[in-house]
Amino acid sequence: MLKNYIKIAWRSLWKNKVFSGINISGLSVGMAACIMIMLFVFYEKSFDNFHTKNIYRLNEVQKFPGMVASQKVGLSMYPMGPAIKTEFPEIKNFTRVKWANKFQATYGDKKLFLPQVFFVDSTFLKMFDFKLISGDRFSALEKPNTVVLTEETAKKLFGDENPIGKTITHYGGDTTSYAVTGILQNVPKNSQMQFDGLFSFRTIYKPWMNSWGGNWLDTYFEIDPKANTAALEKKFPDFLKKHMQGGDGWKYYELFILPLKDIHANAEDIGLDYLNFQKFDKNATNLFAIIAIIVLIIACINFMNLSTARSAERAKEVGIRKSIGAQRFQLSLQFLGETVLLSLIALVFALIIVMCTLPYVNELSQRDISQPLFHNAGFMLAIIGGTVLVGILSGIYPAIFLSSYQPVKVLKGSVETGKNKGNFRNILVVGQFASAVFLMIATIFVVKQLRFMQQKDPGFTRDQIVTIPLDNSARKHYDLLKQELLGNSVIAGVTGAQDQLGSHLDQSGVNFRYGNEPQRQLAVTQLIVDNNYLKLYNIKLAAGNDFSTDKSAIGKQYIVNEALAKELLKDLPHVKPESLIGKQFGYDSLGTIVGIAKNFNFNSLHYKIETMFISNHSDWGLSQMSVKIKAGKQAEAVAFIQSTWKSVNPDQPFEYKFLDDHFAEVYRADNQVSKIVGILAGLAILISCLGLFGLASYSAEKRIKEIGVRKVLGASVQNIVLLLSGHFVKLVLIANVIAWPLAWYAMNKWLQSYAYKIEISWFTFVFVALLSVFIALVTISFQSIKAAIANPVKSLRSE
Amino acid sequence: MIKITNLEKFYRTEEVETIALNKLSMEVKKGEFVAIMGPSGCGKSTLLNILGLLDDPDGGSYLFNDIEVADFNERKRADLRKHNIGFVFQSFNLIDELTVFENVELPLIYTGVPAAERVKRVEAVLDKMQIMHRRNHYPQQLSGGQQQRVAIARAVVNNPKLILADEPTGNLDSSNGNDVMELLTDLNEQGTTIIMVTHSEHDARYSHRIIRLLDGQTVMENIMI
Repeated sequence: MLKNYIKIAWRSLWKNKVFSGINISGLSVGMAACIMIMLFVFYEKSFDNFHTKNIYRLNEVQKFPGMVASQKVGLSMYPMGPAIKTEFPEIKNFTRVKWANKFQATYGDKKLFLPQVFFVDSTFLKMFDFKLISGDRFSALEKPNTVVLTEETAKKLFGDENPIGKTITHYGGDTTSYAVTGILQNVPKNSQMQFDGLFSFRTIYKPWMNSWGGNWLDTYFEIDPKANTAALEKKFPDFLKKHMQGGDGWKYYELFILPLKDIHANAEDIGLDYLNFQKFDKNATNLFAIIAIIVLIIACINFMNLSTARSAERAKEVGIRKSIGAQRFQLSLQFLGETVLLSLIALVFALIIVMCTLPYVNELSQRDISQPLFHNAGFMLAIIGGTVLVGILSGIYPAIFLSSYQPVKVLKGSVETGKNKGNFRNILVVGQFASAVFLMIATIFVVKQLRFMQQKDPGFTRDQIVTIPLDNSARKHYDLLKQELLGNSVIAGVTGAQDQLGSHLDQSGVNFRYGNEPQRQLAVTQLIVDNNYLKLYNIKLAAGNDFSTDKSAIGKQYIVNEALAKELLKDLPHVKPESLIGKQFGYDSLGTIVGIAKNFNFNSLHYKIETMFISNHSDWGLSQMSVKIKAGKQAEAVAFIQSTWKSVNPDQPFEYKFLDDHFAEVYRADNQVSKIVGILAGLAILISCLGLFGLASYSAEKRIKEIGVRKVLGASVQNIVLLLSGHFVKLVLIANVIAWPLAWYAMNKWLQSYAYKIEISWFTFVFVALLSVFIALVTISFQSIKAAIANPVKSLRSE
Repeated sequence: MIKITNLEKFYRTEEVETIALNKLSMEVKKGEFVAIMGPSGCGKSTLLNILGLLDDPDGGSYLFNDIEVADFNERKRADLRKHNIGFVFQSFNLIDELTVFENVELPLIYTGVPAAERVKRVEAVLDKMQIMHRRNHYPQQLSGGQQQRVAIARAVVNNPKLILADEPTGNLDSSNGNDVMELLTDLNEQGTTIIMVTHSEHDARYSHRIIRLLDGQTVMENIMI
């Protein structure tokens, strides 16, 4: 029986090549999109899954006086970990992590700059399940001056020698040696923590670290799985009050814990989240999954539509089979078998599409998501199971519909392909196009918002600026390097700062006194810069002056932004902002405000402009150099900067980044979302059009006699094209009307996550309506024109 | 074998009700060859469809081998049909996607005959219908006469007790038509009951008895000698 079904299914597919082709190609593309998104989702869900303990990270909500809004941060204070462990019995263990980037390590004559290393408590390896190749997990980091390296780092430093027991040296302000006590497997890419080595925290311990108030590391807890974490969090305010004695400091913090496995995808609103590699909001992942399923449903609808449209052709077979004893469920099974076979064929093509496009998707997502496809039998089984399900779901309606035929009627030739069935098809087509139109509108707004963010004037210049990170050693030669660089005409200017624009900047506590008013203490975003910073970045002043070039003014002058000026004067409503000039402000009582800078977006446009001050305390050290280069001289300038760097810092590696690229990185996740949504929307439209093409050709075929008669009676080609296209155009317009309010609502909701956003313009909706009608018309016109220009004699004679 | 009493069938549209069978009663004995004749619309095909359990009556009784089948549900009807009844249609009704062999094999598949047994029986019947040399051809590759032979082969492959033929020669020329009638006569002589609807007096002469219908009622019965 089964063989017979497969045989007839195969021959039926082969006989109707166009319809089969449309069905299979639509389904393949839909499935390929779905598999790809499944791979992505699978990868995202795999983040940090290899850890077996019940680990949480400590986070803070900070609301310092002077801040526009509270902020969540992934940072915590050094003494918090041990204090919390001591006071709350549900905490089984804790570890703290302080990271260092481009960490210089030397062994013999080999000198490396490790991209990122961690200083950790000895408990780190007891809590986290990073695989140890050699060494003892429990004691490797017990002693000071010990290090556990990754396999790759060890290989680079020691070649084929056994690294255990060897000593590496870190040269710098405080030259330190570390004995290698263990080797780890390289950190998996789906780990939020990425490091090249673990160094014992005890080595760098300084007594000042024990003070409460500085947030500069991450703290992780292993918590008893039976513990009530919500109840634990409720105890934190009292805990803070107890430990942060003296002043109101404790009031500015709230503590909360986040499960380790949630951090990767569920920490979108947490800032200063430095150890969260490839952080990606789960809402975006879910959005992809939903859209991919919509695309697949659109492909399934094609199948239902074309199957029922062609039902008259299958009716005779149903009649014959029933007359010789087939029962309805057997026929239903037969038709379901056909759709399942077709789905399986589509799966083969889908897998080919996936293989061909995986490199592109890997690049776009910056992940190697292909793993489960080759190494996970469960994943493959799920795909095959899913395919069978798709076949059953898309075949169930045609199966029930076709198997319901009365043999008497169909054998007599009076098949009712009645109005109701046509209406059902119309509803499906409208559903398909409504989804496609929705996605088109969404794509346009997503792309527009992204472009808006990238092109909006941030209030400073970011073109032609090269930024160079400076480590402890290089920052000592900042002035020399600056002088050397300025000697070349391709360099338009050089400045420096402690942070880079486009990143989360740190806050610092400052004092402010307005005349005889009481002194206020505030915590405000700070930027420490060289005195020509505003000039180079073209940051405009609203009042006052730029920093003085006089060396004696260093560390005594402050420029506040308009947001901070407003905050400082909030209790003095009638005072003009300019009057702030000369008022006492800063880290100590020696500083004054010299200028008010116009607001500029120092962070991404997701966030509102925070209160901020700029200090000229460049003597504290600058960690970023910004070099403005002359337009059109990029290659020459970069080469010159590199050669100058080599001569000034012969032992330090040269790294640079264009500020534009840094901002592209800031919007990386937004960019990925917009590209993926765009691709899926394109696929939705493509598959919908395939279905429309099939229906149009079927409709033209079915009405061939009518077209013949109409032509004989004098209808023109235009009349016929209009006749055949009008119906479908009407459906597409209805789809637009349905999709508009949904898209409007969804886009409004989505845009709420941006502090600076585009307006939702009616023009986009009209544009998409016209575009969708145009695409539909182009799709249908081929069949309509073909039918309209056919010789009527032929169609009438063949009748 | 067949006994119908006061059989009724109506066709209703929104405005009109047409009586297709009007309290029709008749009996067909095992081994008989009966022809049903009458003008278009007299209810011949409706009667044949009800006899073949492809359609329900609206009233009356239908005894098949002394079992009341008028109120059988679809599953029971399909079951009875596949074991007892073979159909021959005017337009052959072969499945285009299946070869001659596969078309004939189909009823055996639905009755669950094992594959090896099926091959034997299909080959035997194709041989008997002299169409064996076309076993791997598709219906479109055959002449009308050959297609009807295949249709008859399919109707008899399950050794049904009853063959219902709806104008079996309607689409054939006279020579092929005569061949088909000879085949049906042979089957009847081997014991199969045959009920045939026809417009052709010539074909009707092959039968033992002609029942003439008008407006859904029997108007005359001719016994052929």
